[in-house]
Amino acid sequence: MKASDKPSGAQGEAGLNLSHLGQAMRVPAGTRIVSQGEAPEYFYVIQSGRVRVFRETEDRIRTDLTELGGGSYFGEVALVTGQPRTASVEAAEDSLLIKVSKDEFDRLLDQNPQLARHIIHQLAGWLVAGDRRLETQVVHQVKLRQISWFDYVLMLGLSLVLALVFNLYNDNRLPLVHGIGEAEGVKEISLSQAKELYDKKEAVFVDARKSAFFDQRRIKGAQNLPVILFDIMYPMFQFTLQQSEEAKDKTVVVYGGAFSRRLDLDLAHLLINRGVKNVAVLNDYRGWEKVFPLVEQTPKEPASLPLGLPGYLEWVPVGIFLLILIPPIRRSPYLSVFCRLLLGAIFISFALSKILRPAVFALNVVDYNMMPAWGVNLWALALPWAELVVGLFLILGIRTRAAATIIGAMNVMFIAGLVNAIFQHMPINCGCVGEVGEPVNWWKVLKNTGMLVMCIQIFFYDRLMVLDRGGFILRERKI
Amino acid sequence: MNRDSLKLAAVLSLILVGLVLGGCGEKRAPYVGRYKSVEPFGGESHINLDLQENGKATWTLGGKSLEFTWVVNDGKVWIYTKTGAIIIVTPSEGGKVLSADMTGDWHPGCPPGSCVVFRRVPQGG
Repeated sequence: MKASDKPSGAQGEAGLNLSHLGQAMRVPAGTRIVSQGEAPEYFYVIQSGRVRVFRETEDRIRTDLTELGGGSYFGEVALVTGQPRTASVEAAEDSLLIKVSKDEFDRLLDQNPQLARHIIHQLAGWLVAGDRRLETQVVHQVKLRQISWFDYVLMLGLSLVLALVFNLYNDNRLPLVHGIGEAEGVKEISLSQAKELYDKKEAVFVDARKSAFFDQRRIKGAQNLPVILFDIMYPMFQFTLQQSEEAKDKTVVVYGGAFSRRLDLDLAHLLINRGVKNVAVLNDYRGWEKVFPLVEQTPKEPASLPLGLPGYLEWVPVGIFLLILIPPIRRSPYLSVFCRLLLGAIFISFALSKILRPAVFALNVVDYNMMPAWGVNLWALALPWAELVVGLFLILGIRTRAAATIIGAMNVMFIAGLVNAIFQHMPINCGCVGEVGEPVNWWKVLKNTGMLVMCIQIFFYDRLMVLDRGGFILRERKI
Repeated sequence: MNRDSLKLAAVLSLILVGLVLGGCGEKRAPYVGRYKSVEPFGGESHINLDLQENGKATWTLGGKSLEFTWVVNDGKVWIYTKTGAIIIVTPSEGGKVLSADMTGDWHPGCPPGSCVVFRRVPQGG
């Protein structure tokens, strides 16, 4: 029907003898001549004027296909195929048409092999175009399931950029790499020297860790001055030293450094800055547990404070273990959408408090003692933004398979950290949902495993409500 | 953008706004004011704690002041230090008394020996 598709010789005035066929009809502008879906009865030749050819969906979304002018014709395909009209036609301006009935049209075809040839040519062209459209749709769906490095670069790169920019303007900003922790200016002593001072009672031992770690295991007789509360607790520490005659003029040996942060060096620097003399740290900061007599206690039950909505949401993934037992549900793209929305909401809510106060989250990372010291702050800055960005991608249906793999990888790391903390009996809070108050236990591992299973489900079966490279797919495409 | 996309965008916006608002703390007003520790701290003097409406807090001891931020969460006052520590403070007597857990370990209670109790200073006094 497209004028551009027609060989010029097939046009009415050029090739068709219509003098004894059809009836002339005048059509004012805006008149609907043919309606999509109706049974075909006539073939039309445009004598003068213009008509507009268009398709319309059930939702009244209109797509204009083409405009035809004088000499063009339309309506022939439906007459040949006997199928309902594939498009609607309305007069774009006042037009003069010749309306040819089916019988007359059949006779016309018999008398005009040129016209028959053109119609065959046109139908063949449509078939080829249909095949191409089908192929495009298939490629579209295949691409939807493909993931590329670009997807990861996009999400992780965006997270990193947002993290760095936000950190510049955040009142609670963190240095990208923890600043103190250098041994420069701090005296180091060996374990044997420290043990000698300990045995002779010529040193005061100060533990720089949080009080929960100190309570769990410490050098017998040591004092606790958590470096994170130094400014607040130092007056009390100073008072205690002044009250103790034995402590005067003795070496202050600071210990409690860890792989993720040299808390001992941090505290030593702070003490030196406050004018404390004879401050030293152990050169083997991990060896004190093997050398000194220890006081050990059963770890306290981790504190548990209400977590609000995110705390309840986090229980929902546990239900996935029941759902995946039912095969039709396990493979359902609707379950994928549910998993995406839930995981997205959980991870976005995880991210918000951490983004605002990265120093708190950095200390959570230090507690797990799995991240090298140089990476703690970078991780504490970037991870919450990655949770936020990937969570949004999941909810919006953008690059969902790649987003699911990133969330899945996060969950694998979280599970590894939790299991390690449980086996090491670490007296720490999870720091996952809120800032505090969430115990590290096997329930937490189960919740994270549920989230991991959800990620796998999304990876394999997600295909609805996604914004892929070709637009938004609300419902399943039938090919 | 078709109507389905607009509906989706509206729902998502509501979810995001809900999440953001859900992350906000409770009202600070009941606890805004000046407090003084019941006992002297570190043998020096009493601690003065000033909780301001704008979320800033000042902790003054022996003439030295420390700046913090604070929020109210689940009826407790959370004080955030610059180093990342959180001190959980439990109000009682309608906000006239605050018990600060100085362990920094986020105990919901206030462990004996690591608890600093503050009492509100009357206005003008």
